[in-house]
Amino acid sequence: MTKPSLHPFTWWLWAIGLAISILRFDNTLYTACCLVVVMVVVFSLRDQAPWAKSFDWTLKLSMWILMVRTFIGITIGVPIPGTELFKLPILPLPTWMPGIRIGGAVTWERLSSSLSEGFLICSIIVLFGAAASLTSPHRLLRVLPIYVYEFAVAVVIAASVLPQLVGAVKRIRMAQRLRGQSTRGLKSWRRVAIPLLEESLARSLDLAAAMDSRGYGVSKKRTRYRPISWHLKDSLIVLSAVGLVALS
Amino acid sequence: MALEGFLDRFIGCWFGRVVMIKFSNVSLVYPNSAKTVLEDLNLTIAEGEMVLVIGPTGSGKSSLLRLINGLVPHHTGGILAGDVSVNGVSTQLTKPGGMAHVIGIVGQNPANGFVADTVEEELAFGMEVLNLPNDVMRKRVEEILDLLSLANLRNRSIATLSGGEQQRVAIGAALVTHPKVLVLDEPTSALDPIAAEEVLSILHRLVHDLGLTVVIAEHKLERVIQFADRIVHINGEGIAKVGTPEEILIDSPIAPPIVHLARALGLKEIGTTVRQMRRLTTEFREIPITDKKKQEVAQLTEAISFKDVTITYGNTKALNGVSSQIFMGEIVAIMGRNGAGKSSLLKALAGVNQISAGKITVLERDPFGLEGRERRESVGFIPQEPSDLLYGQSVGVECEQADADNGVAPGTTLAVLEQLVSGVSINTHPRDLSEGQRLALALSVVLSSNPSILILDEPTRGLDYQAKNELTRMLLAFATTFKRAVVLATHDVELVAELATRVIFIADGEIVADGSTLDVLLSSPAFAPQVAKVMSPQPWLRVKDVIAAIEELR
Repeated sequence: MTKPSLHPFTWWLWAIGLAISILRFDNTLYTACCLVVVMVVVFSLRDQAPWAKSFDWTLKLSMWILMVRTFIGITIGVPIPGTELFKLPILPLPTWMPGIRIGGAVTWERLSSSLSEGFLICSIIVLFGAAASLTSPHRLLRVLPIYVYEFAVAVVIAASVLPQLVGAVKRIRMAQRLRGQSTRGLKSWRRVAIPLLEESLARSLDLAAAMDSRGYGVSKKRTRYRPISWHLKDSLIVLSAVGLVALS
Repeated sequence: MALEGFLDRFIGCWFGRVVMIKFSNVSLVYPNSAKTVLEDLNLTIAEGEMVLVIGPTGSGKSSLLRLINGLVPHHTGGILAGDVSVNGVSTQLTKPGGMAHVIGIVGQNPANGFVADTVEEELAFGMEVLNLPNDVMRKRVEEILDLLSLANLRNRSIATLSGGEQQRVAIGAALVTHPKVLVLDEPTSALDPIAAEEVLSILHRLVHDLGLTVVIAEHKLERVIQFADRIVHINGEGIAKVGTPEEILIDSPIAPPIVHLARALGLKEIGTTVRQMRRLTTEFREIPITDKKKQEVAQLTEAISFKDVTITYGNTKALNGVSSQIFMGEIVAIMGRNGAGKSSLLKALAGVNQISAGKITVLERDPFGLEGRERRESVGFIPQEPSDLLYGQSVGVECEQADADNGVAPGTTLAVLEQLVSGVSINTHPRDLSEGQRLALALSVVLSSNPSILILDEPTRGLDYQAKNELTRMLLAFATTFKRAVVLATHDVELVAELATRVIFIADGEIVADGSTLDVLLSSPAFAPQVAKVMSPQPWLRVKDVIAAIEELR
């Protein structure tokens, strides 16, 4: 292990701190700076573990959200006066829906406010993905106190089944391709989704049964084999985020 | 009579031994199902016994195993009548977690049950949750690492281990709490013969050294039969028979090849180990060594040829410059240890794996460019999980879809399925089929397009003997009657002996042997089928080879 081994809470606290500061600053430039820092940190520190891929997924997801959010933001809603960029045809709506307009003039103000609001949502999602991909869910389970038993079981199942699902999607799409089915379009996703759902359900049940038979949650106390301790570098990372919150 | 037999067996011969597991009048029914899984089962397992549970797929072997620690019915639902008690504690009153210090259980697919990143943490997990003090944990982890020869893997990430290593870690994780009972569901079904041998000999040692009670379910009897003290045979209608291996196997339809050999030779008693059988069959071997029969295949039309094929994933080479040719009418088995590169080769031949170097031609074309109908008509592929191919809500829908895809008359696929397995209702959901039936459905979907080449990846995983025989019959008909090529990757030496005309043996991404089944299987003791081991040095692989050779002599 050449990478520093940090406490599993560290990156989560750091991400939460950054998220709070982003929301409080509410400044697009600041948000963008934060995201650049997050990306640099994730790409340089993450390892080959299956959950490390979750960052890429959240990046893709947030791109989609940004696009959809912006599209809806500029087409639906109350017009904001200002510099007009272009004009969309107005969709006639029934009279019982007053005050809502679809289409119409798109102003620079409207576009930029939609973009910056979408950007804010995306940054929170990306921060979540960053924390998830930098922290092993299994180590997180080890430090979670046992009285959040149900929650912890759910976390470990979600965290260990999800990365396996990424592999399963690949495998099933390959099989479907071998059956000579096209792997593009919405219809193909239906063909993938059914075997995938079945498999994820079966896997989750297997894991829950395994944890149950090994006595998880029976004793309210739990010992630690190799206790995970909190180091100076953990404090420094968390403090950096706390500092930003204080500044905002 | 029944009562007497019962008393004899359980009081007479278990007198003085500690009863570890006791099933009293156990019947089990799952909700929404008319079928009784178990009916009035009485079974007593003493401390230090190794009990093997056998039966066709879907007969309730897994349910029986999961009854022992109460996962059935606490985790799955179902109505349980009677009582199961382990070490004097009834499972009706205790949840599975409360039994964790008495029973260790290893599921069918151990990778699904791992909760930690590294081997050491996985081993410690069971003790952490039982709140054992740290010094005890340290000692026991070391002990288990030594016992299962895992010491050099202690800091490895579990995801990077091979199938056999993962199985050993799962067994270790179950053993750290010092349970009195170890329950394993098909521990060797995904393993190559050598890894399976390792796992089973460890279990054998645990039984003998520590007095551990082991209950194990397994389809591949040839691998486990020699270690079992007693067998529980579930017949599928809920009736279970209990007895020593000799008692059960003498008339059981489920039997390993050596028992079939004993029956075919008309021996009065049967042996369950190769050693016993060699003693019983000395006279049959004392004939001049027969010549190896050449399996003649007219090598006329080439189906597949690959030359200097290399496949790399990241930094690792899965295949390193392999070349061979496969002809129509051949059945080629690809063998090798877990992770040797078998699946990579099959996927490359089917045209879904991009190769890094070399050239593959399938029916004089590059398989990578095949799409849609053309692909279906040239190469049929059955993946490791046949259910990956299926997405319909019922068998009927699945078959209609295949008919429509291939432009054949409605009902063609269903007719193929009927030929493979009879009595599958078209309204059944594919998930509710047994492993064998699901494989048959996937196979009929693939065969309905009439492919020239059939590729199967590990088809016998989880199949019972009957389903395996059906598969053998189907593939032989496909290859010999229609002169088509079949390529399959498998760990099952018995299947290879029955089926294949040629074996390609891969180790570490390179072909180490490529020759007729007889030559390749006889040259390696680990990969020799049971009949060959019993009859060595005679070059016979199957029961019918032995019979044929003896008939010829007369």
